[in-house]
Amino acid sequence: MQTLKLLSAFFKVNVQMSLAYRADTVVNILLNLMWLGWELLSLNIIFNNTDTLGGWGLGELIALLGVFRLVNTMMIALIWPNTEKFNQSIRDGSMDYTILQPVNSMFLVTFSRITVWRIWDLFLAVTLIVIGVNMAEEVTSAAQILTFILLSLSGMIVIYSLWIVLIALTFWFVKFDNNVTILQALMDSGRYPATVYPAWLRIIVTFIIPIAVATTIPLQALRGELTLAQVFIFLGVSVASFAIASRVWKSGLKQYSGASS
Amino acid sequence: MFLIFKRLWQVNWAEQWQYRANLLMYLMYWLVSPIVYLAVWTSIANVKGDVNGFTANDFITYYMVLLICDQVTSNIIIHTFAYKIQDGSLSGELIKPIHPMLTSALVNNIAFKMLTIMGLTPIWAILFMLFKPDFSGIVLTNVLLAIPVMMIAFFIGYLLSAAVTSLAFWTTRVYSIHEFYFALILLFSGQFVPLPLMPKLIQDIAQYLPFQLLLYFPIQLILGKLSADQIVMGYIMSGIWLAVAIVFFSLIWRNGVKRYSAVGA
Repeated sequence: MQTLKLLSAFFKVNVQMSLAYRADTVVNILLNLMWLGWELLSLNIIFNNTDTLGGWGLGELIALLGVFRLVNTMMIALIWPNTEKFNQSIRDGSMDYTILQPVNSMFLVTFSRITVWRIWDLFLAVTLIVIGVNMAEEVTSAAQILTFILLSLSGMIVIYSLWIVLIALTFWFVKFDNNVTILQALMDSGRYPATVYPAWLRIIVTFIIPIAVATTIPLQALRGELTLAQVFIFLGVSVASFAIASRVWKSGLKQYSGASS
Repeated sequence: MFLIFKRLWQVNWAEQWQYRANLLMYLMYWLVSPIVYLAVWTSIANVKGDVNGFTANDFITYYMVLLICDQVTSNIIIHTFAYKIQDGSLSGELIKPIHPMLTSALVNNIAFKMLTIMGLTPIWAILFMLFKPDFSGIVLTNVLLAIPVMMIAFFIGYLLSAAVTSLAFWTTRVYSIHEFYFALILLFSGQFVPLPLMPKLIQDIAQYLPFQLLLYFPIQLILGKLSADQIVMGYIMSGIWLAVAIVFFSLIWRNGVKRYSAVGA
């Protein structure tokens, strides 16, 4: 309950901050639409030249684009602004004040900044997913849609956990302010099914920087390609990664000793 | 003049060398898209045999050469210069008797380029072993012909980006404009896919724009896919666009500097 209250407070503050830059918001939304146009055009180019990409049809790739945009929104609306603030607070010691608050510091650090206008991207993403699923020729059962939603969420938890680990490393290595670049760098690989990548790239995006876990794998669930056991493994992985991330965060906090000492 | 450039080089090289870890991150970031495109198109070509005449090896060689071409012809002036106009630190450079964009910033870009190419070399070698491109179609004459093309292309791209960057004299939203400019490059340069696979309309427009000179033209030239006529035509287009870019940039720069009044003035 307290968490929800805090979230809505954060949200209000961030709305107020962004209202100061209304024209910027309009420009950003226009640019965002431009990129959506480009993404759809690039899918159109691909499917002008082929009927399937790794066995997937156009509808499935549009749905994948929707899932990709969900993850990407988390990246831009949450991960970027909070990481920037966090890195700053480690350098200048203002992290002290965060730790003093009677709230879970991990929650505070990862949710206090939200790029509010990006929320509309979530609607766009969901629209893409719905359109894509309807375009796909195979019939999808309710169970497949349910596992799809579950695995999308658990995929995002995996990415969130990796983010926590990456920024927690800054507690040990203060100068490590490139901490999320590696995550951002491999982001683009989420636009296409990881099954078309060569094995080495597939291993990187599945196990090391698991973008595919949040994009390709939910889509595979939607296509009914995953066994029940696999679904449970992925759900388990997300729970485990969140637990590990919390542990790393706690031991990182113990390392933190302020900026002047 | 030579002495000035020599000193500028020493300063800028030392400056870029400081940030070599950042540079490696930048390389990683920049590498992923071409590799993803390569994987997507080769997988299609492998299933169908060829895509409109492009075999899997054609795609592999295209993107492998693209990695080099893009490093040579691209620039980062928007990131190293726009903020100077915005926060007023340009003032100090304006009173020097040399052009800020055509000397120091230019040398800075080239130093950055040298370092990224040094970083790219081992990565490229690894990718070469992973993808095993068959480069047997390449002849030395074409590579030699491509060198001046890429150098001219770098200057065309640099001047156009410098012109876009100079829009910071008028607007604070120069980064948004640059994002739009970047999308144009993506659309018309052959970065996503070789131009013949693009929709007809885009191909027709691309012919008349400078962006295909940055990537598509030099890549196809190196791969030996162009006829003598096409090569001559590309050279002529490069010359025309270089002239246009010079005029365009000087117009914008001259008017921009007149408008410039540093923060606090």
